[in-house]
Amino acid sequence: MLLAPALAIYTLFAIWPLIDVFILSFQDWNGINENREWVGLRNYYHILYNDPVFWVAFRNTVIWTIMSVIFPPVLGLFLALGLNQNLIGRAPLRAIYYLPVIIAPIAVATMWRWMYDPFFGLFTQLLTNAGLAQLIPDWLGDKDVALYSIFVAYVWQSVGFSMVLFLAGLQSVDRSLIDAARIDGANRRKIFEHVTLPALRPTITIVLVLSTISSLKAFDIVYGMTGGGPAQSTQMLALWAFTQSMEIFNYGRGSAVSVVLLTITLAIVVPYMSWSQRREEDAQ
Amino acid sequence: MATVEIDNLHKSYGALQVVHGVSMSFQDGEFIILVGPSGCGKSTLLRMIAGLEEITAGTVSIDGTVVNNLSPKERNIAMVFQNYALYPQMTVAQNMGFSLELSKIPKAQITAMVKETAEILGLTPLLDRKPSQLSGGQRQRVAMGRAIVRDPEVFLFDEPLSNLDANLRVKMRAEIKALHQRLGSTIVYVTHDQVEAMTMADRIVVLRAGRVEQIGTPLELYDNPQNMFVAGFLGSPAMNFLAGRLAVDGSPSLVLESGETVALARRPDVGAERDVVLGVRPQDISLDPTDGTAAVVKVIEPTGADTHVLAELAGQDVTCVLSERLDLKVGDEIRLSFKTPAAHFFDLKTEARLSAGN
Repeated sequence: MLLAPALAIYTLFAIWPLIDVFILSFQDWNGINENREWVGLRNYYHILYNDPVFWVAFRNTVIWTIMSVIFPPVLGLFLALGLNQNLIGRAPLRAIYYLPVIIAPIAVATMWRWMYDPFFGLFTQLLTNAGLAQLIPDWLGDKDVALYSIFVAYVWQSVGFSMVLFLAGLQSVDRSLIDAARIDGANRRKIFEHVTLPALRPTITIVLVLSTISSLKAFDIVYGMTGGGPAQSTQMLALWAFTQSMEIFNYGRGSAVSVVLLTITLAIVVPYMSWSQRREEDAQ
Repeated sequence: MATVEIDNLHKSYGALQVVHGVSMSFQDGEFIILVGPSGCGKSTLLRMIAGLEEITAGTVSIDGTVVNNLSPKERNIAMVFQNYALYPQMTVAQNMGFSLELSKIPKAQITAMVKETAEILGLTPLLDRKPSQLSGGQRQRVAMGRAIVRDPEVFLFDEPLSNLDANLRVKMRAEIKALHQRLGSTIVYVTHDQVEAMTMADRIVVLRAGRVEQIGTPLELYDNPQNMFVAGFLGSPAMNFLAGRLAVDGSPSLVLESGETVALARRPDVGAERDVVLGVRPQDISLDPTDGTAAVVKVIEPTGADTHVLAELAGQDVTCVLSERLDLKVGDEIRLSFKTPAAHFFDLKTEARLSAGN
């Protein structure tokens, strides 16, 4: 009974839109017309077979996701290990690394767009001053570079999140296990391998799942930095769903892209979680 | 097997000093128990011997070699921890063989050594299990197996039985003692439980606030405690203390602050009349309806074998253990005799033992 208000709100704002998107993906609607036209699988057929941008967005999302489950978690782990030591100024450093996480993505995007400015940006200035002007790419204007430029900004923003989760995980590492390993003759690397890493396994699962989910729905930072350009070279599935619906006003196709994205996310996350849970139980 | 020498050992954490110049030496094959209340520095001392804690000043030598700057591994010691500290992802066999594996001993040899040790401790059927599938007692046995398999010079135990229930603790106590006799190795064992100390140790080191209070065999410490702290710490129930003035003339007796007189069997050589603390173990107090000092029964605890009686004597609580079965009720008056040759006397101010006399 006490859950009823929460369930009602959740149904209204989360479950119903989900169902509606699913229904919409089988319809043709421009967002204004009173009537939605039932078109069956035509939206899916279109995005999968007649829409070159969809596949660019798909490829970019895959690249983005692979990079996202590698770089921010690994960097976050190293930062956490470093900031778990008894350092002077440890607390402020932790706060500084976490700060980007709480900045609105759109602000991060704007900030980095300035830094990437081809004439006045920080990176251009730095490289020019270092005499490396000929090496300066057009950070966000070159279609082979733009995606990776955005990704660097994304890493900067998201690494603090992994770091905080790993820091929390490191608190659960049993001190006496480290002592026991030292007495057994383990060096730092062996202690990390046999004590720290096994203790961090649940944290690693959480970090990877959350990184995967957040990278698959990468939207705001790309939207704010390039809007998908140049020439759709930084288009992502989430962004493409948005563009189809809100800018091209083809809600049916936009919804179809969303449903595909949801399917991909579930197809990755659900098996991974059940696999890691099984492994967790085996380890017990 | 080795001797351990500790010379003027100090430990500070910043401005806070926790071990104040402690010296002691342990013989080869000795079972030493460091005992004291929590915060007395006993675990810190053990961790300094192990090399897990940096030494602020002084030296630790194992078998004649100063080991201050050696890593825990190079000291050739093994340690058993209070919470067992078993690697959760490894099987029992892997846990036991881990240190051997790190020393690059061939696999086949490790398997043989683990098997042999498991045999001694009755762990053979458990070798393929994970620690989470074991009971507390089994885990502690694995932790001991991990220590034994390395055949170290010195075994260090840090409150190994504290996490076990009372019955198991008694059983493991006997097992550890039997193991010591079998292996003949030097053991340094830390506990806050004086029963463990009394029952297992060859020699006990009593520590308080980072200082050694007394070192000796369990019975030496029990019979001749050097101060009130040691006297009160060892023995269960704890020793009774009565403060009073010792008369020089007449039959030995102590006049309590309330004016009550307690008859004694003997008195120490104090020369003149002075304030002392009388210490009598509950087991040494007897009932004496004619000559005893009056006391009122407050609590009666029959244990079966004997009866613990807490009584109020001149405003102070006195515990006595009476072997006879008595028909006592709370509120009854009893007369207690302190005329035992096993009475101890301490200086009121310094709390140090006063030498025995007549």
